[in-house]
Amino acid sequence: MKQSVLDVHQLNKIYGKKSEKQFHALNSVSFAMAEGEFVGVMGPSGAGKTTLLNVISTLDTATNGSVKIAGTDITAMKQGQLADFRSSQLGFIFQDFNLLENLTVYENIALPLSLQSVAVRNIKPAVESVATKLGIEAILNKYPVTISGGQKQRVAAARALVHEPALILADEPTGALDSKNARSLMETMVHLNENHGTSIMLVTHDPLSASYCERILFIQDGKLYKEIHRNSTRSAFHQDILDVLAQFASPDMD
Amino acid sequence: MLLKLSLTSMRKLAKDYLVLLFGLTISISIFYMFETLAQNKVFLEANSLISSIVFVFHVGTFILGIITVFYIFYATSFLLSLRQRELGMYMTLGAKKRKITQLMFMETFFVGLTALIIGIVLGVGLSYGIAELLMWQLDFQGGGFQPLYSSSLLITVLFYVALFFLTSIVNAWRVGRKSVLSLLRSGQQQDQVKTSGLRTFFGVLLSVILIAVGYYAMVHIAELMQFGIILATATIIPGTYLIFISLLPFLVKRLKQNRNLNETGINSFTLGQLRFRMLNLMMVLGTVAMLIALGLGAMTAGTSFYHNIGIQASMFHANDVVLYEPNETEKQTLATMDVTEEEDYRYKYNDEGVYFLKTDLEAAPPDVMAFEEGSEGFSPTTPEAKLSADEYALYGEEGVTELPGNWWTAVSTELGAGSMFGNRSIFVYGESSYQEVDGEEQHVTLAKLNDFTAYLPELEKLDASQKSLAETYTGNQVEQLGGKYSNYVALKGFASGTIFMGVFLGIAFLMMMASVLMFKLLSSAGADVHRYSMLRKIGVRKTLLVRSIYRELFLLFLFPAIVGIVHVIVGMQMFSFIIIEPYTKIWIPLTLFFVIYGIYYFITVQMYKRIVLPKQF
Repeated sequence: MKQSVLDVHQLNKIYGKKSEKQFHALNSVSFAMAEGEFVGVMGPSGAGKTTLLNVISTLDTATNGSVKIAGTDITAMKQGQLADFRSSQLGFIFQDFNLLENLTVYENIALPLSLQSVAVRNIKPAVESVATKLGIEAILNKYPVTISGGQKQRVAAARALVHEPALILADEPTGALDSKNARSLMETMVHLNENHGTSIMLVTHDPLSASYCERILFIQDGKLYKEIHRNSTRSAFHQDILDVLAQFASPDMD
Repeated sequence: MLLKLSLTSMRKLAKDYLVLLFGLTISISIFYMFETLAQNKVFLEANSLISSIVFVFHVGTFILGIITVFYIFYATSFLLSLRQRELGMYMTLGAKKRKITQLMFMETFFVGLTALIIGIVLGVGLSYGIAELLMWQLDFQGGGFQPLYSSSLLITVLFYVALFFLTSIVNAWRVGRKSVLSLLRSGQQQDQVKTSGLRTFFGVLLSVILIAVGYYAMVHIAELMQFGIILATATIIPGTYLIFISLLPFLVKRLKQNRNLNETGINSFTLGQLRFRMLNLMMVLGTVAMLIALGLGAMTAGTSFYHNIGIQASMFHANDVVLYEPNETEKQTLATMDVTEEEDYRYKYNDEGVYFLKTDLEAAPPDVMAFEEGSEGFSPTTPEAKLSADEYALYGEEGVTELPGNWWTAVSTELGAGSMFGNRSIFVYGESSYQEVDGEEQHVTLAKLNDFTAYLPELEKLDASQKSLAETYTGNQVEQLGGKYSNYVALKGFASGTIFMGVFLGIAFLMMMASVLMFKLLSSAGADVHRYSMLRKIGVRKTLLVRSIYRELFLLFLFPAIVGIVHVIVGMQMFSFIIIEPYTKIWIPLTLFFVIYGIYYFITVQMYKRIVLPKQF
C-alpha cells in the first residue's frame, strides 16, 4: 500500500460551550487517504462537509482528534505555522475561483511560489509548466475579469498545483461552471491525478462531478455514513452515487 | 422598529461614526472660531491691528466651508458603503423604500447635530484661548472679547444645518435610487483596469512639462509678476492631476515589471492593489495633493513670516541699540546684555540743530545696511570714504554739503537722529566748527548684540526711556523711534495675525484632506475583504498581510504628500520678495504636517485592518 497523505483519526468538532447546548458538527470521523488518491466527500447540506474541509485545510481547529497531512499532525500547530503549512503543503480550488482580480493570471499562479520565497529565476518555468498542463498558457498575461469561468477555474487549479502541494482540496470546484466546462475541469483533474500522481480531495454536491473520483465518502450528521469505491465504468459509479444519495432522502431512514 | 435597528447598527459602527464626528467637530469649532474673531465688534474696535486681518478670517471660513462639503460627502459615502447590505436586507424583509430613505436621512442628520453641539462648545473654548493668546502676543490689554458671540453662533449653526440637510437628502436619495439587489450585492463589483500605452506616454510627458512650467513661473515670480501667478495656477493644477492620472500608475507599472521585486513575497499583491487603487483614486489623490500644498503652504508661509521678523528687522539696521544721553539705569541694562561692539559718539545740540563730531564718527564709522550691486539684498557695510569737507548736513541745508551715501544712512538710520530730534537740523561738524557751536555736549552709544531676540524685555525698557527722552527733545508725543526694536514690534504684530491664520487654516485643511483620503480609501475596503480572506486561505501569514496593508496605504498616503511638499518648497519661492529667508524654520510646519498626516495614516490602517482581516485570525 502507498504511503498515506491524509490520516484523519477520531476527529471531533463541537460548537457551543460545555454549559450550553452543544452541536456535534463532526462526530468521531476517521478515514485515511493514500498518496495519489482521488477522493470525493459528499453529503447533504449541514452534514459537516464544510467543517471537515475547514479542519483539514487548517482554517478551523478541531475540538479533539488528530489530522495528519503528509505525516505532520496539524492539530498541534500554531496559527503562524499553520499558515506556512497551508502555503507549502496544501492547494485550494474554490467554487468562486477566488482569484485576485488585481493580478494577472501569471501573477495569480506565481503567488504561492513568491510567498515561499522561491528564487525568482525558478518561478517562471514553474508557472509556465503548470499552465501548459492545464492548457492556459495563452492567457497568462490577462487579468481574471477578461477570461471565462472555465478558464478562471483552470487558473485556480494551476495556482493550487504550482507549488506541488501534498494535497489538493477542491471545494465545489464545478459549482459555478456550466456542464461543458465542469466536465472539462473534472477530466483535467483526473488527468492530473492519473498522470502526475496528484492527491485530490473533492467536496461536492454534484453526483456527476463526484463520479470522476475513485472513492466517495458520504457524511451525514457529522458522521461517516458510507464509503463506496469505483469498480467499473464512470456511469456505473454515477448510478451507485445516485443510489446512496437516494437513501439519504428516503423516508425509511428514520 | 427600524429606528431601533438603526440605533443598533450605529452602535456597531460606533468607531467609524466617531471618526466622522471628530472631523466634523474640528471643522465646526474652527469655523466658529474664525467667525467669532472676524465679527467681535468691540474687540475689533479696540484692537486696530487685528481689524486689518478680518478679511482674511472671512476668506478662511469660506475655504473651510468648501472643504467641509467635500469632507462630509466622502465621509457619509463611506458610512453608507458600510450600511448598504444591511439596508438591502431590511428591504428584502419588506421595509418600504420610503422608510429606508427616512432612516438614512435621520441618521446623517443626527450625527451632524451631535457634531454641531460638541463643535460649538469646543469652538467657544478655542476662540477664547486663541483670543487670549493673540492679545498676549500683540500686547493688548483686555479688549472686550466675547467668546460666545451670538451672530457668529447663528452663522455657524445655519451653515452647518443647511449642509447636513443637504447631505442627508443626497444620502437618502442615493440609497433610494438603488435596487434591493444592488444594495445586497454591494462590495462584490470588481474593478476594471484600463491601460493604453500611447495615452499614458503623452500624459506623463504633459504632466512633467506642465509642472516644470509652473515651477519656473513660481521661481521667477519677481519678473513675471501677476502673470506668473496665473501661469503657475493654470499649469500646476492640471499638472498635479496628470501626475496621478498617468505618471504614478506608469511608475507602479514599471515597478511591477521588475520581476525580482514583483515576485518576492507578497509584493505582487501589494503592488497590484496599489495599481488598482490608483486608478480609482487618481482624482482624490490629485485633490489631496493640491490641498496639502495649500494647507502646508498656508502654515509654512505663516510661520516663516513670523520667523522672518528678526531678519526683516535687521534689514535696515546694522546696530541693535541706540542710546542717547544714556543714564545710569540704561547703562546698567546695556551691561547685562551680550554686547559685541559698542561705540560712543559726541554731539552738541541747541534749538537750531544737532551737531555730531566728525572725528568721532571717522574714528569708528558705524556699520550700515547697504544695498550692494549683485548681492541678494542688504548687507552690513562700513562707510569708508573719509569726510573731506568740514561741515555736512543730513538734509540739504543751504550752503552746506549733504552727507554722502553710507554716511547719510549711518546718521539717519543707525543713529536714528531724525526721529530723536524732530524738526532740528542735523549736522556733522569737523573739530573746529564743532568747538564753535554753542550748545550742551552729550554722547550717544551705538551697540551691537550677539542675539537681538534674547533681550526683548530689556530692549523694551530701553526703547521706552529713549522715547521719553525724544519727547523732551521734540516736545511732542513720540509714537515710534524707528529703531530696530520698534521695527521688530511692528512686524511682529502684523506677523502674529498671519501665522495664526496660516497655522489654523493649515491644520483645518490638512485634517479635512487627510480624512477625505481616509474615508475614500476605507469606502473601497469592503471590496478587498474577499481578497484578504483568499490570501489567508492559501496560507499567507497574518503578519505578512498586515505588513502589506501598512505598505500599500503608506504609499497611497505618501504620493500626495510628496507632491504637495515639493509644491510647497518650490512655491515658497513666490514669497521670496516679501520674506527674506522663506525656508527659515520650515521644519515646524513640516513636523506639524507629518504628525497630523501620520495620525490619519495610522487610524486608516487600523480601520482598514478591522474591515478586511477576519476576526478569528
